[in-house]
Amino acid sequence: MSSGINKEAIGEFLAGVKDGLPLQLAVFPFGIVFGMVGLDAGLTPLQTFFMSSILFGGASQIVFTQLYATGTPFTILVTTVSAVNLRHLLYGFVMSEYLRHLPLNWRIVLGYLLTDEAFAISYLRFTQQHSSDTMHHHLLGSGLILWSCWQTSTVIGIIAGPTIPDSFQLEFAVPLTFIAVVIPSLTHFPKIFASLSSGCAALIFQFLPFNLWLIIAAFCGIIAGTASSYLINEGDKKTEEKQ
Amino acid sequence: MIVWLAIVCAGMLTFATRFLPLSPLMPKSLPDWLQLAMKFVPVSVLSAIIVPAIFISPETKTIVIQDNLRIVAAMVAIIVAYYTRSTITTIISGLSVIWLLTLWQ
Repeated sequence: MSSGINKEAIGEFLAGVKDGLPLQLAVFPFGIVFGMVGLDAGLTPLQTFFMSSILFGGASQIVFTQLYATGTPFTILVTTVSAVNLRHLLYGFVMSEYLRHLPLNWRIVLGYLLTDEAFAISYLRFTQQHSSDTMHHHLLGSGLILWSCWQTSTVIGIIAGPTIPDSFQLEFAVPLTFIAVVIPSLTHFPKIFASLSSGCAALIFQFLPFNLWLIIAAFCGIIAGTASSYLINEGDKKTEEKQ
Repeated sequence: MIVWLAIVCAGMLTFATRFLPLSPLMPKSLPDWLQLAMKFVPVSVLSAIIVPAIFISPETKTIVIQDNLRIVAAMVAIIVAYYTRSTITTIISGLSVIWLLTLWQ
């Protein structure tokens, strides 16, 4: 009986790894860029390396390097970097339905591994499958494959970074990486509006001290996106009522 | 030292945002407006980094439009990202454009 459950658990774990593999094509270059810009920003190789396991959030780590390089005060740096990861609250609440009953050590490990990619992959599995006692192993698998690739690609970036001359303008890889993440997500008007609003606000508020423009621009984008979603939904309701 | 402290603090806050909702002590869900607002966090933060990185000159710290090669490279990258949805192709195409244009000048 228990070996049957073990077999099922290993099967779920491997399914998580397998489902996660295609996404690593996007994770790898991202990690390499982070390793390179980490050193470029003046972090030591050790700091760059350990940030990938302590923070374990791609975009937030790059934001860290950018703010660090421009001498942002401690509190603003920590707040802005953590704000970038606030979206994970959402994943946690969505996943909690499936994970709340687990023992504490499982919840600590799965919470730590709950990134955008792992969430996307395993949430799909959780919703498509009948719930089982071993389904959380899928998240362990998708989380661990991502974790391993993130650490490996960070190391590659740290090693390769210093060999690339300044004339290659590698710092430009940061906005390019983010373009690759943002553009495919602009699927409906509120997202596009949020993106444009935050981008414009980032230019307008450049004069503010301590890189405060970043968090203010982000808020402008969030407000623009949320408000326009509400307005569009209201409009939809009204046309429905008329029909 | 302060860098390590910043990494650990940001790391702990990040872990808290991922772990706390999985705790049975927390409410089962967030208010609707907050759930909606949070969907716009990544796109807003990333756009706020993309736009100045393209338009603000690293040397003069002002907005530069004329002879700004990064605008051309970013436009190519946006088109490539839209059609391929591939991170690596987008990064390589953007970097190649800026290298080629720099050589050209």
